Amino acid sequence: MDIAYYPGCSLKQSSALYDLQTKKVFSKLDINLKEIEDWNCCGATSASKIDDFLSIAMPARNIGIAESAGFSEIVIPCSACYAKTLVAKEKLNNDPELKSEINSGFAKKVKGSLKVSTILEVLLAFIESGALSNKLEKKYEGLKPVCYYGCMMTRFAYDVPSPDDVENPQGMEKVLKKIGLHPVDWNFKTVCCGASASINDAGVSFALMAKIMKDAVARGANCFVVTCPMCQMNLDAYQDEFCRQNNITQRLPVFFITELLGLALGMGVKDLQIDRHFVESTSILNLQDKVVKERDTNE
Amino acid sequence: MPSNAFQFSPADAAAFSRKVARISGQNIQECYQCRRCTAGCPAVQDEGNFSPDMLIRLVNLGDINAAINNEMVWKCVTCYTCGTRCPNNIHTSRIADTLKKMVKESGVEPLKPNIAYFHSSFLESGVRWGRVNEAEFMGVYEMKNILHLVKQKKFKEIYDEIIQLSKFVWRVLKQGRMHFGFLTSKGHKEIKRLKRQHQTSNKV
Repeated sequence: MDIAYYPGCSLKQSSALYDLQTKKVFSKLDINLKEIEDWNCCGATSASKIDDFLSIAMPARNIGIAESAGFSEIVIPCSACYAKTLVAKEKLNNDPELKSEINSGFAKKVKGSLKVSTILEVLLAFIESGALSNKLEKKYEGLKPVCYYGCMMTRFAYDVPSPDDVENPQGMEKVLKKIGLHPVDWNFKTVCCGASASINDAGVSFALMAKIMKDAVARGANCFVVTCPMCQMNLDAYQDEFCRQNNITQRLPVFFITELLGLALGMGVKDLQIDRHFVESTSILNLQDKVVKERDTNE
Repeated sequence: MPSNAFQFSPADAAAFSRKVARISGQNIQECYQCRRCTAGCPAVQDEGNFSPDMLIRLVNLGDINAAINNEMVWKCVTCYTCGTRCPNNIHTSRIADTLKKMVKESGVEPLKPNIAYFHSSFLESGVRWGRVNEAEFMGVYEMKNILHLVKQKKFKEIYDEIIQLSKFVWRVLKQGRMHFGFLTSKGHKEIKRLKRQHQTSNKV
């Protein structure tokens, strides 16, 4: 199966580990990700604050590139890139005038039929096919994750169909249950981490992350699982700081879903670069060989 | 804060409110102040005199100055919770974004200049190179920010900013999360040309 792949700027820089893990995990699942050629920045939330036209035109160019290369689906692991691309596609389909204006400037034209998918949508479709369980090599002991979705995977500032429940998404839970984990239910799944406010308005962002952290700890979780590189960076890189400010003694690793999946598929901590986290994340990982085959069917 | 009742002019208020509604694409006159937006707004914390419903009320009252100088315009973290919960489907984040653009057009200084610098540095980097270069855009942002603080003689803030930034850069370097290559996409030419073309056709 060939799917177009848009990594976005973050996955080529500070979250390069997520790019690497996504490629490794998908290749193990025999899903061929093809990075689209010469993709550009999606504009993220900054474009929508400054320039409405660019906030549609920038992701539109990437849609055109993927469609011209013959792809019918594109997977975008970064939640901000995903949201902006999905919104651009929907807006252009509802605004023929804007679509022809934008197409007049780009070599690769937007048709508007591309399916824009989150990493969870692709993984869940794969799990539906039933092919995951015989690829699993390891199982976890003692890991109690909370799934943290953040904002941009389910909420949009335009009327766009959400890929999961807006207030109580379940995609990550479904994936983790398939690898034998039992995610802890909690209240802060979709509460904002502050995103770029961690840099330009740290007080707001740190207060939000402290609330997220306190609920995770109170529920007895011992790690976060995320799909968004911005959420991962914020909760991980600033954790020591916002916890000290708010008298929180615990520290919780912030795993990308691709890390927990990759380990269960038999990859190592170093292969997946989990040692590049800010909060110490490897000592909690207790993996056992998966021997009993029948257990799969019960789960 | 809100206008003096004796100065209130329904005609002026309606003109401003309609303008914001048109640019933001939000039916702000439908707001009946139920405050579901505010109940879920992560930017509204214990202190500060701002909230999404208050911002909408200021716009509907036509109080331009109070609206563009309301902290909500800059404190909004664009999490879109307000809009997904609004019974009238009003996205206050898009009203905040519209007011940011109005501040920029009018040439007045933004209430939170550093937040404005952050987003403009980010987008400019994305358009300049076709892809955002984290180190470059952060450098540009910090330069604009610190230069502004120097002009205002806010030396304590400059010191805090430099300490905070150095700590972050050190952590990022230590964990191997700093990227040293440079990202580009040839798309920047197409994007710039299209943007110029859009501006010219909108002027006519």
